Amino acid sequence: MRKSAPRLLLSALNHATLFLFILVLIVFGLLSPKFFTVAGLTNLFVQASSTTVVGVGMTFVLLTAGVDLSVGSIMFVAAAVAGKLALGGTSLPVALLAIVSIGLVFGLLNALLVTRLAIIAFISTLGTLYAGRGFGLWLTQTRAMNLPDNFLALGASKFVGIPTPLIIGAFVVAFAQLTLTRTSFGRQLYAVGNNLEAARKAGLNTRLLLAAVYMLSGLCAAIGGILSLAQLGAVSPTFGTNREFTAIAAAVLGGTSLFGGRGGVFPGTVLGALLIQCVENGLVILNADPYLYPLVTAALIFLAVLLDSTRSRILAHWARRKIFVEDAV
Amino acid sequence: MNRATSLASRSLHLWATAVLRSEYLVLLLCGVLFTALAPFTPGLATASNFTNLLGNLAPLLVVATGQMLVLIAGGIDLSVTSTIALVSVVGAFVMNGDDGWLKGSAAAAPAAVMVMLGLGALVGLGNGLAVTKLRMPPFIVTLTTMMFLSGLAVWLTKSQPIYHLPAGFTALGSRLWLALPIAAGLTGFAHVLLARSLFGQWLRAVGFNARTARVSGVPEGAVVIGAYIASGLLAAAASVLYTARLETGSPVLGQRILLDVIGATVIGGTSLFGGKGKVLWTFFGVLFLTLLDNALNLLGLSHFTIMMVKGGVIVLAALMDTARNRWLAT
Amino acid sequence: MTPLLQVESVEKSFFGIPVLKAVSFTIGAGRIVGLVGENGAGKSTLMNLLGGNLHPDGGTMRFNGNSYAPVNPRAARAAGIGFVHQELNLFPNLNIAENLFLTNFPQTGPVIRRGELHKRATALLKTVGIELPSTTPVDRLSNGERQLVEVAHALSFNARLIILDEPTTSLSARETERLFKLVRQLRDDGRSLIYISHALDEVLRLSDDVVVLRDGEVVGQGKATEFDQNKLVSLMVGRELKQLFPKGRSLPLRRALESNEVGAEPRAPLLEVRKVSQPGVVRDVSFSLRRCEVVGLSGLMGAGRTELARILFGLDPHECGTILVSGEPLTGSPRRRIRRGLAMLTENRRDDGLCLEASVADNIALVTLPNYTTSPLRLINFASLRNGLAKIREAVRLQPKLSNEQPVKTLSGGNQQKVVLAKWLLATPQVLILDEPTRGIDVGAKSEIYQLIRDLADRGAGVLVISSELEELTGLCDRILVMNRGRIASEFAPGEFDRERILNAALPT
Repeated sequence: MRKSAPRLLLSALNHATLFLFILVLIVFGLLSPKFFTVAGLTNLFVQASSTTVVGVGMTFVLLTAGVDLSVGSIMFVAAAVAGKLALGGTSLPVALLAIVSIGLVFGLLNALLVTRLAIIAFISTLGTLYAGRGFGLWLTQTRAMNLPDNFLALGASKFVGIPTPLIIGAFVVAFAQLTLTRTSFGRQLYAVGNNLEAARKAGLNTRLLLAAVYMLSGLCAAIGGILSLAQLGAVSPTFGTNREFTAIAAAVLGGTSLFGGRGGVFPGTVLGALLIQCVENGLVILNADPYLYPLVTAALIFLAVLLDSTRSRILAHWARRKIFVEDAV
Repeated sequence: MNRATSLASRSLHLWATAVLRSEYLVLLLCGVLFTALAPFTPGLATASNFTNLLGNLAPLLVVATGQMLVLIAGGIDLSVTSTIALVSVVGAFVMNGDDGWLKGSAAAAPAAVMVMLGLGALVGLGNGLAVTKLRMPPFIVTLTTMMFLSGLAVWLTKSQPIYHLPAGFTALGSRLWLALPIAAGLTGFAHVLLARSLFGQWLRAVGFNARTARVSGVPEGAVVIGAYIASGLLAAAASVLYTARLETGSPVLGQRILLDVIGATVIGGTSLFGGKGKVLWTFFGVLFLTLLDNALNLLGLSHFTIMMVKGGVIVLAALMDTARNRWLAT
Repeated sequence: MTPLLQVESVEKSFFGIPVLKAVSFTIGAGRIVGLVGENGAGKSTLMNLLGGNLHPDGGTMRFNGNSYAPVNPRAARAAGIGFVHQELNLFPNLNIAENLFLTNFPQTGPVIRRGELHKRATALLKTVGIELPSTTPVDRLSNGERQLVEVAHALSFNARLIILDEPTTSLSARETERLFKLVRQLRDDGRSLIYISHALDEVLRLSDDVVVLRDGEVVGQGKATEFDQNKLVSLMVGRELKQLFPKGRSLPLRRALESNEVGAEPRAPLLEVRKVSQPGVVRDVSFSLRRCEVVGLSGLMGAGRTELARILFGLDPHECGTILVSGEPLTGSPRRRIRRGLAMLTENRRDDGLCLEASVADNIALVTLPNYTTSPLRLINFASLRNGLAKIREAVRLQPKLSNEQPVKTLSGGNQQKVVLAKWLLATPQVLILDEPTRGIDVGAKSEIYQLIRDLADRGAGVLVISSELEELTGLCDRILVMNRGRIASEFAPGEFDRERILNAALPT
């Protein structure tokens, strides 16, 4: 009997986000009759697509027990470059290529700092956070950039009736899900996150795995930046600030552990991102003071991390080594 | 010939090691920075600029000292900048001349200072409890606190600065002969605490090896909470100095100094891995960053260039920390 | 027929202390070889050489007809040697199949061929007799099942030689039987196995051949049928005692001393442990420790000795039972227990005994620091602290040339241990718990530490010594308790220190 109590608690912790999500949905649905329509739901998914994509990248990093604080700045730089290119009339494929490379280059920078120079992840990426923001401000000369209408049209465009951002988001999630669950790379990441030293001893190339994770996160951040840009239609100097928080929150709310080795993209991070978006929309519906938004988001992140820490503590308690098996008395 | 070269390279290596190991390396770097930049930077070596430098240095030193205490305990406090903002706002609420709670009262300024310090300590207590009792990772706890407190400061003021602070209060910032002794007194006290008190010894033991500390009867939870409270208190004290200097309660106060705080402590030699740190080192680190900031500003570089340079500097500082730990360990 | 593995005059030293001295033996194909020896006889070192974790200082090895010198564990695996470790190296967050093929998934491009993966994994699991689906997460498995998964892992790269290090310590009787069946079956398939265990009856029952190690030398090898348990024990133990141990003061003198200090009740227990139990760790442990007494705690690895010590010191919880010091219940954190006069030298200096980066002085002062402070700020009185340090340094005979400011990590193992001892002795403890006090230190420092322990007891303290070296316990202690699977199995009074009997009490029955 004693054993089942923590198991129950653990199960509750694992499903806390789902309960919360359902609760928010119900409240939301009661407050706004328009919500449970196809249009309402589609809108929610479109709005959450950017956070989902960045959160997917973050999930990869968190799985290895690292963190990437620079995603907000990468989003900013990617959006700034995209804006510049769009205003300069560059063709779409070239622009996309440039954006993808920006994500990868930033990711590579983080990867080198973390794997080659052995600087703690949160400090390395805090450094690139500031360096990236400074670089983006220089690019934009700290002025807001309004995008041409054809770019905005892209954000609102549909492909076989489905909004493009939704397709991109779904594609990223599917690709990440496949990578994490079906490839050797994905499975090895879980081993690295569980125990880096043991993974190295088992013969895995841990440096390469870690480097890949930061590059993926950079790539996802760049894509997320474009998705966000397509919705907002403008790059302001504060574009992407604090987005590292929402990305971490989406991943951790989705059940990915800050301590590494546990979690996943689907339904995990997707659910987390939807929950965050739902709460934000709920605040809009409630006509809440916009200044309250960061407070609510911060509280949500705190809750997510608290759930994660509590779960980890319970698991660690179980893992305490028993030295012999109790024989039946 | 060969022997002579090898001897020369050996002595060079020894010299390089000695320099890297020296406590005064960062002070040396400050000197190098100053002499290198002075000829190109108009107004760097002037009396008015020195006053300005010292005015910038004093509050930063106070925050950085608090940060150092937390780093020594093996944690990190990213919430200091938001603490500064929130404390500034609340202090201004108490004492401002427009609609302050204690508007016009002679006790307004001292009461506000007490409230500010109390609030800072409270924030530190919250961080400390979350880290020790709830076992949450320090960097994420304090990141969340940072976001929350900054949001709170903005919400409370609707993003508007608060003016008309009592003259008795603003004097703390505008008169260097008041601000400097306050900063010196606080850091001096921190130095005594760290170097000569039981708390300082325990703090280092916990940072070096929390398990050994626990087995040896050190109340490691209380010690860590103490470090976060000290950090909150010192951030609040710095907020008093900043607020007085600006004569404004501002919800975005200190927003730009997070990198300076962490950069200064780590450049000074406080380890991100815990256990190692001295107030004197932090002073040198703060001097270096203040000088760098000042020179870059005088050179007319834009805000974002300075941001990039500082982003690079913090990575460099962390690199030095890793190098000191690995390379010089033998 | 050439043997599968040939070990020729292999030698290995650590810090100048020889651990393996010209070890030679051979293992034939399709044989189960039992490897036995006391703790510290060199078994683990030998296996680490075979597994590629360590490299020999001298001698040669041949495996499968080729010269064998693995540079790392991967090379050992590639050569065909599989290792089943005592502490299992599986990733509990992955499933069985993924653990088995983590470094060589069957894949098309980057994508794992799941069907193939599970087909192969299921085949391996069938071989080792696990009925569970290969998609079961490893954290759902019992220790015994994990052991079998490790064996399956060795089979996944078709190991010709599989080393099992103490595989049965955490297994139930049924799981053990299952493992034995598997081991025999693998032997019949033509593989060879090295079976390391303290359970001598198991070794004799299972093995074809036996190799006995003692002090880094092979002291016996041959067909298992040529040995019985008594012969094995006497081979394992039979070495001459060295004059390492201090003579305790004569008993009458100590009695006098004792009665002087405790008055009317000379034999009142200082520490009393009553029916302490913690599921899976210790069971119903009761004993007492008196003033001026050194009590040894013997037992095999995993018998619960360290765990008991951690419970006594308040580092781990216990579910039931009471602990009394001088008749008063002992509760709370280590901090409170230190105030009651307890001290504990832990098994692992580096993890929880020392702050390696900190100085000698800071380490020694850590426990007693509050006594050297003055209010209100609790500033440290460095002058009186230095006095205390100087005295205690002399008492533990720490080399005078070592500076107080030197970081502890620059010290030798012996001096590090003296620093830990000094730290506790400065607190003048009443009850001193020493877990493996002489592990990894040289003979000279050892004998000095024995003298210190004896002196401490002679001055009225009670000392509990946990050690894997029987010789140490018989030389040093007034009484020896033997633990076996979490229980105190038997107690030996001074006249009865018979190494073979003590060893037999510690071995699983």
